[in-house]
Amino acid sequence: MARYSLTFTSVTPTAFADTTNLTSSNYGFLLQGGNTTMQIKISEIFAGGEAASSSSPSIMVLARDSTVGATVTAGATRSALLDATGTAPGTTAVTGNSATTNPQRSATLHLLHLSFNAYGGLVRWFARPGEEINQIGNAVNAGETSFSAYTGGTPGAMSGHCLYELV
Amino acid sequence: MASKRSHEGYLLIDHTDSPGVPDSLSVPAGLPAGAGRGKFECPTLTCQHCDVVVLVNPKRNRERAWCKHCDHYLCDACGVELHHTGECRNASKRIAEYLAAVERGEHPLILR
Repeated sequence: MARYSLTFTSVTPTAFADTTNLTSSNYGFLLQGGNTTMQIKISEIFAGGEAASSSSPSIMVLARDSTVGATVTAGATRSALLDATGTAPGTTAVTGNSATTNPQRSATLHLLHLSFNAYGGLVRWFARPGEEINQIGNAVNAGETSFSAYTGGTPGAMSGHCLYELV
Repeated sequence: MASKRSHEGYLLIDHTDSPGVPDSLSVPAGLPAGAGRGKFECPTLTCQHCDVVVLVNPKRNRERAWCKHCDHYLCDACGVELHHTGECRNASKRIAEYLAAVERGEHPLILR
């Protein structure tokens, strides 16, 4: 069905431990199902560093969330249909990096670790079609995924994107 | 005929124009030593039982878990579980169970 690009622009992540509240604007993005039955497939993650300091190791983690975001606002993110001629479905995914209740990263459900130096470094991961990361619904541990910095390092500014599909 | 390698994704970590990250940070994150320097490229596999992305280590000589039911590689943790239970828990099964539970008005947790 509809394929989207979720971008985040010039975000300087804060390093957070698992199961602690992320804070608004200090993580890349969250991607939450728009209802209890929405299925999302994540096929690509990219982050490019923009830090001015040469020591900006950033331990970025894509993980499921054990607390999901509530009253989410876009902040420094944007979600756009990849197909310019496409029509958005009636219900779309919830995306953003700011919220009244921010998510908490699960301690066990880390999906992808992307460590890089945000001073000139970049990371890109993509899945073969049919091998994407799945999420379902909009509840904890299954219905929301976030991209945030893990404890350690000194994360620097970065921009990037996540390609996903509403199934 | 598709090969097992046709399931592979791709990871690029490019520090060509960057000081990179030391092994003390990249190795605990699951990357091989030296991956934080220069350009690192690696095939990946997405475990069909839990969606974790696994870096394929070409030097690994231990057996890699494989589910003959869904015809996919698994991460080590799901490989152990499959060995004990013999049950395939691939994404389509988990999602179907989840949707059935939602239809019954339950609040399922489908992940391990």
